[in-house]
Parts: sequence; C-alpha cells; structure tokens
Amino acid sequence: MPKWQNPYNGLQDFASKVSLKRRIKLVQDEKGDFTVEFTKYFSQSEVERIHEASLEILENVGMLVRNEKALAIFAKNGCQVDMETMMVKFPREVVEKARKTFVPTYTFTAQDPKFDVTMPGDRPIVVTGSSAPNIIDPKTGEERRATSDDIANIAYLINELPGFDVFSISTLAEDAPEGQFSMSRFYPALKNCKKPVRSNTPNMNDLKTVLELGALIAGSEEEYRKRPFINHHYCPVVSPLTFDVESTEAVIYLLEQGLPVYGTIVPNAGMTSPLSLMGTLTLGNAEFLGLATLTQMIRPGAPMIYAVLSTVADMRTGAYAPGAIETGMMQMAHTEMARFYNVPSGGYIGLTNAHSNDAQSGYETGMNTTAALLAGADLFNMGGLLGSLMAFDFAKAVIDNEIALMLKRMKKGYEYSEENLCLDLIAKVGPGGSYMDLDHTMKNMRTIAVLPKVATREMRRRWEDQGKPDAHSRAMKEASKILSKPNKARFSEELDAKIRDHFKGLVAGDAKWSL
Amino acid sequence: MSVQDIYDAVVEFDIDKVVTLVNAEVANGTDVSEILSHGLIAAMDEVGQRYSEGEFFVPEMLMAAKAMKAGLEVLKPLLSQGENEKKGTIIIGTVKGDLHDIGKNLVSMMMEGAGFEVYDLGVDVDTEKFLATAKEKNADVICMSALLTTTMPFMEVTVKAIREQGLSFKTMVGGAPVSEDFAQKIGADGWSTDAPGAVETARRLTAK
Repeated sequence: MPKWQNPYNGLQDFASKVSLKRRIKLVQDEKGDFTVEFTKYFSQSEVERIHEASLEILENVGMLVRNEKALAIFAKNGCQVDMETMMVKFPREVVEKARKTFVPTYTFTAQDPKFDVTMPGDRPIVVTGSSAPNIIDPKTGEERRATSDDIANIAYLINELPGFDVFSISTLAEDAPEGQFSMSRFYPALKNCKKPVRSNTPNMNDLKTVLELGALIAGSEEEYRKRPFINHHYCPVVSPLTFDVESTEAVIYLLEQGLPVYGTIVPNAGMTSPLSLMGTLTLGNAEFLGLATLTQMIRPGAPMIYAVLSTVADMRTGAYAPGAIETGMMQMAHTEMARFYNVPSGGYIGLTNAHSNDAQSGYETGMNTTAALLAGADLFNMGGLLGSLMAFDFAKAVIDNEIALMLKRMKKGYEYSEENLCLDLIAKVGPGGSYMDLDHTMKNMRTIAVLPKVATREMRRRWEDQGKPDAHSRAMKEASKILSKPNKARFSEELDAKIRDHFKGLVAGDAKWSL
Repeated sequence: MSVQDIYDAVVEFDIDKVVTLVNAEVANGTDVSEILSHGLIAAMDEVGQRYSEGEFFVPEMLMAAKAMKAGLEVLKPLLSQGENEKKGTIIIGTVKGDLHDIGKNLVSMMMEGAGFEVYDLGVDVDTEKFLATAKEKNADVICMSALLTTTMPFMEVTVKAIREQGLSFKTMVGGAPVSEDFAQKIGADGWSTDAPGAVETARRLTAK
C-alpha cells in the first residue's frame, strides 16, 4: 500500500473497494502493468473451434507449395507431399508439434540500439506502410513516381517522428540504376534512419546484396549477425492456400541464416477467401499456421508475428478496401487467435483508401487502429500511405504519427494507484477551488495528455486569422519544419565513402528539402 | 424463342439456359454468326455496360462471362473458317514473381467473351515465355498483369525485349498498382483500370 493518510476513512474504504472491483476486470500485461482487458469477439471454445477448423483445412485441403525447397522441408518433417502436383497436406500432429516451439516475443533491431523494440512489451509498435510506387509531390500536390531522394527524406522524417518505431521503406525508387532496384531503397533508408528498417526484396540476388550492405554498415558480417538491423518481411503465402516461389525462397534462406524475418497473411474476402468474416478468419488462420509450421520446421523457436492484412473486397467493383471497417474487425479476430497461440500479432492496420488527407483518411486510420489496439494487437503497419497503399504523403505520415501517439497514450492507460486517486489533493483544494497553480499540475502538464501538433485547439476566430489551415496543411508545415534541418542521424562521411566505394553507381540517397 | 432469349440468358448469367437455347437455335437453323454476335457478344457488351454503371457487381460479370463461354463452346465446331475469324489473338499472364491472378482471370474471361482468341499462360510468366507463345500463336497483343509493386519492373523488361527484337506485338498492362503514367513510361501500348476497359483497349489495339 502506498503511503496515504487521509482524514476521510470512509473514502479510503470506498477507494479500496473500487480498487478491488476494478482489479477483477484488470489483467496484468507483459510488463506487469495493469491494463484493460482486450476486446474479444469469441469465447474460448469458439477460438478452439476456429483452430480445429484451420487444422482440418491444412489436413484435408492442404496447401499448394510452388517452392521446391519448401516442398522438401515439408516432406522431411512429416507432411504428405505430392512432388508432382506440389500439394502438401499437414497432419494435425505436425502442426501441433510446430506450435510447441512458438515464442511469445519478436524484436525489431535498429542501427542504434536505443531504438530496438520488442513485442509485446513495447506495444503498440507503429510502422510505416511500405512499397508504394508513388508519392504525392510535396511541392505540387500531384501524384508522381517516387524516387530514392524521396526515400531519403521519408527515412529522415520517420527517424524524427516519435510515434513511429519502425521504418518500413515506404516507396519504390523510380530512379534506381539497372540492377539496383533494392539498393536504391535500402541505402537511402539506412543512411537516413537509425530506427529499425524493414522491407522486402524481389529476388535472392537483391536480398544478398542488401545483406552485404548491412554487413558493411555493421563493420563485418559477424558484427551484423549480432545486431541484424534489416528486418525482413515477405508475403510468401498467396491466398488461397498457396506458397509462392521467390518470397518463400527468401524466407527459407533468412530462417536458415538465423536472420529476422516474418510474413503477412493477406486473404481478400470475396476474391481469394470466402465472402464471410468467419470463413476468411478461418482460412487466414490456416494460412498463418501453414507458414508458422514451415518456419518452426526450419528453425524451432524462430520468432514470428501473426501478421495479417485480411480484407473484404468491395464486390461492386472488386476494389481492394484495406481502409474498410471490416479490416479492423478481421485484425481484432486474428489478434484473438494470436493470443491463443501466444505469439505477437498485428499487421497492416490503419490503411486508407482515401486519396487525400480528408475525413475518410482520418476515420479509416483512426477507427481501425483503435479497434486493433483495444483487441490487443501489437504491430501496426499504418503510416504515411494514401490510396490503398499506392502513394506516400508527407502530411499523412505526420498525421499518422499523431494517431500513433494517441494509440500509445491509450495503451498506457490510467496508471492506477492509491496515490493517483489524488484524494489528498481533492481534499486540499476542496469545492470551488482551482488546480491551475499546483505543483501536482506543474509536474504532470507536459506528460499527462498528448499535445498534438496537427490537431487544432484554437478558437475559430484565431484559426480564421491564420488562413483556416486544415489538418493537411498543418501536418505539411510540421514535416517541413523537421526536414529543413540537417539530418544528424545520417551515415558518417567515412562510412558513406566506404559504402559508395564498395557499391559503384549508387543513388545519392541524401535527404534534401526545399519547400 | 429467339436470339434475344440467348442474350437475356447471358445477362441473367444462366449457364444451363444459354447452352439449351443456343442448341435449340442451332437446331432451328438460325445463322450461327447471328447467334454469336447478336446473342452472345452483344450480351457481354451489355454486361460490361451494366458493370460500368454500378448495377452489376464483379461476380455477376464473371458469371455472365462463364455463361457466354458455355454458349460459345456449343457454336465453336459449327463456325466456318470465315465466321471463326477472331477479333484478335491475346496472350495473357501475370508477370514473373507475381502469383496474384484474380484480375488477370477476369480480363481473360472478358476478352474471350468479346470474341478474342485468348491464351492464358497463368501466373509467374517470364519474358521468354510471353514472347515464345506470342510468336507461336501469331498473337496481336501481350497482356501483362501485376499486383505487387515489386514485380512491375518485369513489364518493362518484356516491352523492351519486343522492341529490341523488332517484333510487332502490341502490349497491354494492368493490375492495381499500374497507372496510365506507368504504362506510357515503359512504352506499353495499352492500359486499363478494369476488365471491360481492357476489352475496349484490346479492340482499339487490334482494329484493322
């Protein structure tokens, strides 16, 4: 019990009762903090039935495995494999065996160790959306192909925005020299951002080149392996129930090498999965188990994330709808399943179909991430993209940073304690007083609330005098403020010279801003 | 019973009815090319129109294309050489590294529905295979599809190869991340946001 003296004993009794009552509803989270219980759609028996149903799918329907190494691994570890048809069936004991080596944590390693983050302890982990082909030009406001210079600017911005934990390389680089498709993305990203960098590569050659870059930055391959700060991500499973060739190859390689990698499961109801939330959950869950089984067969105990981007297609046109509310609902249910398996969860959640920073963009990102947070998701690939993953926008990234800070605030919760009930203070000020000039207020005023830079709290008149700036223009100003200063997180000249000498003809990869 | 009934059955995506009606109409002695153009193909134009107006959803368009194709199968053996003259020959597939084929399948179906000879090479198709098949089938248009932004560069590889080898195949590109700008930049001849648009583009590219 904290030191607490109060003349009002009756109140103390009341406080203890409240505390007891609350604690029944509270669960202890991974850090030992008390937090609210997670929102659930299913009972325990329903969760178990979904798991059972997923096992039935894997055992009876099976998966089409187009990668030959994966086929061999499945065959060696007890699956029924038809090498001719590339069909793999998973006896339930094979999947259950894999489950035994699942681990509950996943770490994103950074170039600078102070930016390392581990799930679930550091949840919510907020990540940018990745690999958009386009960018909204910050000067003209028009959509155009993104370049390596854009990636450098974005990397620097994400390094500076406190809401983001991981930089997943937001765009492609149109200006990539022949044969440097991936290097033109990873080099400017790693050069300008000390937070964990995450992305994918289209083939083994690119992957190995990127790893070579990692070793060069770390000083040696050995040093790099101690702190592998390139966090690989792929979508090796193509719904329904298919392993592809190239991504699967990369995943196998990275697992064998003991390097970090995870996959996202991406069923799209009505197109590549049943047009019902339950059917898509069950299929997606089976696909997660398929990938998890492969992962654990290669390296038992390899950390994983139950990551999804389960969506419901807009059947009017077949349009992809990651901003739809059903995406949030799917994430909530997958997260519930992930908790059953005791692995970190999350995915691409908080994306929008909107093409500008309008109301739709805000409510799609806001509602879906809030739902996922309250359901207990750990990982949020949410930042900076408009138009259903098609274009990066600087202002959107700044707005999403603010949403991220709000989510983190919500997660932090109430810091329940006897002391925090403030009974002394309330008694001291009494009815009719003011809390403005108290030490307690001074102590808390910079930390208790999120202090937004984008959201306005001005009175209308003042806002009008400022030229009626909307969220987009306020966010753009914030991006400009950050990017106008030189990047202190950039590679040292010495390291940069070494890299540029090793890889000839690299793009410049420097953040530069002129707005 | 008339060609109009066949048209209606396609628009109602009733596969069995289309097959029955086409058989009956053939037995009745109706001109085969009349059944084809005014019954089946005209109906698919109507379906595309209804889709564009938001009345039909994607699955309805797909089912109508299946119904049309079933009717076409009945007619095929009966079409004389002249009547069998195709509107054009299309080679289609998803590009190397990309297994996402829903959009491609839809385009493939609609192209067939519009009377094109379609060779669907499936998924993960490399430049060599696109070109070899196009040469073998004496194709008019090579259609490439991608969903992953990271596989889009393979479209340019194929377009370039056609130029370098001095071949006359036209190219069309499509898929969620593919824009008109991108199509122009890589030198593709055509591009579309959706399946009915792809049919229109193919008609334009193959117009003699």
